[in-house]
Amino acid sequence: MAFNAEKIHQRRRIKVIIKVQNLKKTYKTYNRGNSFAESVKSLFHRKVINVNALKGIDFTIEKGELVALLGPNGAGKSTALKILTGVLYPTSGDVSVMGYVPWKERKKYVAHIGAVFGQKSQLIWDIPPLDSFCLNRAIYSIPNADFKANLDSMVEMLDVGSIIKKPTRQLSLGERMKCEFIMAILHKPKVVFLDEPTIGLDVIAKDSIRKFIQNMNSTGTTFILTTHDLGDVEQLAKRVIVINKGEIVFDDELKGLRRHIENRKIIRITTREPVSYFGEDGITMIRQISPYEAELGLDVSKMKINEFINMINMNGQIADISIREVPIEEVIKELYVK
Amino acid sequence: MEAWNKEVFRGGSMIRFVKLHIMGVKIAFASRMVYRADFLLSSFITLLGDLIIPLITFLIYTSGASFPGWNIYEVLLIQGIFMISRGIANMFFFGTVWNTLSSVREGTFDLILLRPHSTLHMTMITAISCDDLGVIAGGILISGIALYNLPAPGIINILGFIFFFIVSLMVLVSFAIIMSATVFKWVGNSRVYEIFDAITIFGQYPATIFSKGFNILVTWVIPITMIAFIPASVLLGKAARGIYIAALSSVVLFVMSLVIWHLMQKKYTSVGG
Repeated sequence: MAFNAEKIHQRRRIKVIIKVQNLKKTYKTYNRGNSFAESVKSLFHRKVINVNALKGIDFTIEKGELVALLGPNGAGKSTALKILTGVLYPTSGDVSVMGYVPWKERKKYVAHIGAVFGQKSQLIWDIPPLDSFCLNRAIYSIPNADFKANLDSMVEMLDVGSIIKKPTRQLSLGERMKCEFIMAILHKPKVVFLDEPTIGLDVIAKDSIRKFIQNMNSTGTTFILTTHDLGDVEQLAKRVIVINKGEIVFDDELKGLRRHIENRKIIRITTREPVSYFGEDGITMIRQISPYEAELGLDVSKMKINEFINMINMNGQIADISIREVPIEEVIKELYVK
Repeated sequence: MEAWNKEVFRGGSMIRFVKLHIMGVKIAFASRMVYRADFLLSSFITLLGDLIIPLITFLIYTSGASFPGWNIYEVLLIQGIFMISRGIANMFFFGTVWNTLSSVREGTFDLILLRPHSTLHMTMITAISCDDLGVIAGGILISGIALYNLPAPGIINILGFIFFFIVSLMVLVSFAIIMSATVFKWVGNSRVYEIFDAITIFGQYPATIFSKGFNILVTWVIPITMIAFIPASVLLGKAARGIYIAALSSVVLFVMSLVIWHLMQKKYTSVGG
């Protein structure tokens, strides 16, 4: 029995591709003020502010996982991502990705990772993406045959055959983003970091990019995704890590996040008589639209839907009612404001 | 692990380094040729700007004045070589300053750090500029005219010139690296280049016209005379004593610039996400 447990533990250890322990990052920033007088004063004296971007986070990620790293702006998720990619040095803590310490063995390490930043382009603006791909071939020393095979398969998957020979500046945002993915994945990295990869894209482009990510993930590539688009999370991630104020406030499967809301419904109701909902256990007022119309939150573990309907009918007679699930955004929002 | 990843894993070979540099040149040309009219115009303007000093030299000598011990063609040779060195340096090295400046300010230096290669080399190859081709051509022309009017140099002088010209490029690349490194700490310091421009002006004249103390400063301490004067004087067979000390000081400057780059790079903070 003990032998089996040890075996399972060992197997899990082998599968772990990213291990983060007590990771902290503190950086200095300066308060320069906003008025002219404060700006002049800042020439001689600046107030130093120490920001604790990460306050000691721990997590592990297994090979082939697709994990979403969520958090409000300034929560520390981009800092975590930059440390994981070897771009930033942490203040303290341990990180191991595929056995490498990213900031210590940067050159060796980054040969095995890919990254797409929704707001930073790796493509060269004035020349076609194909030339940028060729630069990557030289950077990663990809043999011609492998380069051609990889490129052909990705061009087909993303349907960009007709655009890779056009100058990058003439491409739409969606077309450019597809090419950014090819840039990041041409060398077949084992781990890919995505920082808001669908920002600003239309639904068709988003869908195409999401399918591409799913395809790559199904071949064993591990993905770490940071995004504010919960559509990305719902369609791609099985596991979610939420960072807020430099700390992990949630780390579980997406199903676990849904469990937070399975007992809650949102009800929009119109009655023929004015109704007061105050003081009823299980009911929270979201928005009072008029004395006859309101949007309510109902905790069905405290009051069943039929009990709620009976109660309203007795008090004010229902004219119209709609019941819907609490959107996942609400749970995320709650985690963000905690 | 893919075979090519193993190669990257082992680190960069010289062949890979050269291949990448050639790729950088090709991309720079392809990018610049998109705006052909702008390319031709800026090449011409850069050339005009760099012709001012040789023109002043010409005016000085035609008005009867001179730099003691140096005839007009010898001085023009120094200035022609200066133009070639600066042209090559501007084309291959000095774009690094602007590239680092903007990428540190905008946080796109992240992308350089994500490449399995030296950050310095990556910054250089993505900043190659073709605008100074006109200056190189102008420098070759002025040097050609000067040499045509001077006694032909011997083979030893030519070999010595090649050696010191390479050292001259090493001095220029060192300055480019040091200037680039400073912007990691002083983000957005776009005036850094002006300091360099002001200092290197002394490299366009025969060093013998300066006082002894200043000469030591610009030859052995900060080897500015290495940029043009020393290679030209070797070619002319008029090399002063201590040029090998200047070469050694150039190597020290180069090593120092690499150390400074690596130390300063650690100060990179990226930008908010």
